[in-house]
Amino acid sequence: MQLRILRALYERINEDLARSHEVAFERVGFVSAKLGNRHSGEPVVLFANHYPVADQNYIDDPSAGARINSDAIREAMQVVLDTGMGLFHVHCHAHRGRPGFSSMDLDETPDVVSSLRVANPNEAHGMLLLSNDECIAHVWMPGSNEPVFDNRITIVGYPLRITM
Amino acid sequence: MFEERFNRQSFLGADWQQRIENAIVGLVGLGGGGSHIAQQLAHVGFLNYRIWDGDVAEDSNLNRLIGANENDVENEAPKTEIARRLINGLRRNANIAAYNCKWQDDPEPLRGCDMIFGSVDGFAQRRELEACARRYLIPLIDIGMDVHSIGDEPPRMGGQVILSMPGGPCMSCLGFLNERVLAQEGERYGDAGPRPQVVWPNGILASSAVGIAVDLLTDWTRSLRDVIYLEYDGNKGTLKPHGRLQYLERRSCIHYTVEQIGDPSAMTVVDSATVQ
Repeated sequence: MQLRILRALYERINEDLARSHEVAFERVGFVSAKLGNRHSGEPVVLFANHYPVADQNYIDDPSAGARINSDAIREAMQVVLDTGMGLFHVHCHAHRGRPGFSSMDLDETPDVVSSLRVANPNEAHGMLLLSNDECIAHVWMPGSNEPVFDNRITIVGYPLRITM
Repeated sequence: MFEERFNRQSFLGADWQQRIENAIVGLVGLGGGGSHIAQQLAHVGFLNYRIWDGDVAEDSNLNRLIGANENDVENEAPKTEIARRLINGLRRNANIAAYNCKWQDDPEPLRGCDMIFGSVDGFAQRRELEACARRYLIPLIDIGMDVHSIGDEPPRMGGQVILSMPGGPCMSCLGFLNERVLAQEGERYGDAGPRPQVVWPNGILASSAVGIAVDLLTDWTRSLRDVIYLEYDGNKGTLKPHGRLQYLERRSCIHYTVEQIGDPSAMTVVDSATVQ
């Protein structure tokens, strides 16, 4: 599975996620994406726009880096409905090199993705994790309840970075 | 650990080989320009190729088609097979998917490439290829050359290398593609006669394109950060940033928007006369 994100968008998201928050230790957000080349054996997820979670939609929970409320999920679902695109939950682990989802990410984020899939079952949705220079993703394709883990993500720009 | 053959290019960085070997390159057009590019990519160490060209070798190609020989002309060898032989001769383990057709007849594999080299004829072909690359967020490196004669003056040889980076200025933003040149080309359609093509400018342009690709992947210069539009003057033997770049008002594109990414879709057009 291939995914592509423009470097300008990647950097904008990273910059936004690095902002401090009053109660959360880290920020999260959503990125819209369109599934391309969908009728081939080689579909491509193309990331489009970033949607930060509003400050008031974080819950004060010291047990998690960031926890968001139902308004944040509802607003994300509305983005899916308004744009007709898929949506990826995104956050950042601020280090260089290939990042890895935490056990909490893997336990909790798929529930958020389920809600997004209800809003538009015909697009790919998922979870995206950035580091300072790479990213990984789990992708739920239309019609499949199991995510695709084996992804190849390209940050498109100067320089071109391919994470496999 | 580098293979011994790559010892001389270790300056490209600690992980250059992985970056280059992981990349999937698409080559559209395997004539005078594309054949040079195929050969050089193989020398550099690229491993994954998807190549398109619907033509076979002709005698008139032998003045510039790298890797072709007189047997290929006699056997009407497809240019894709000549390129495959050329690449495999340098990289036996290369993965080469060859499409002996126009890319538009089998476009899906192109959408899976990490970067595309365009060595196509004409402005309309370039616009089509760039539109595809932009839809799927793929960098396109376009090269081309031409020779013009004006009156009694010596022929003028020119050319270009353009890196069309998604999100950045496209070939229309750069003024290379515009309605005037497309219309002029349309008027000449079917009436062009043989276009002047020779081996040496193609070599210069192809080498520059390969250099840009290597820098894009390895970031060895750590300076490739801006729009690339190189202008070749074959009479002076110079290749330099195009003069238009200094007047470029924005570093973003106004022609290809984020709403246009993904597969083209058909729309139902409602005939207003039938609407009650």
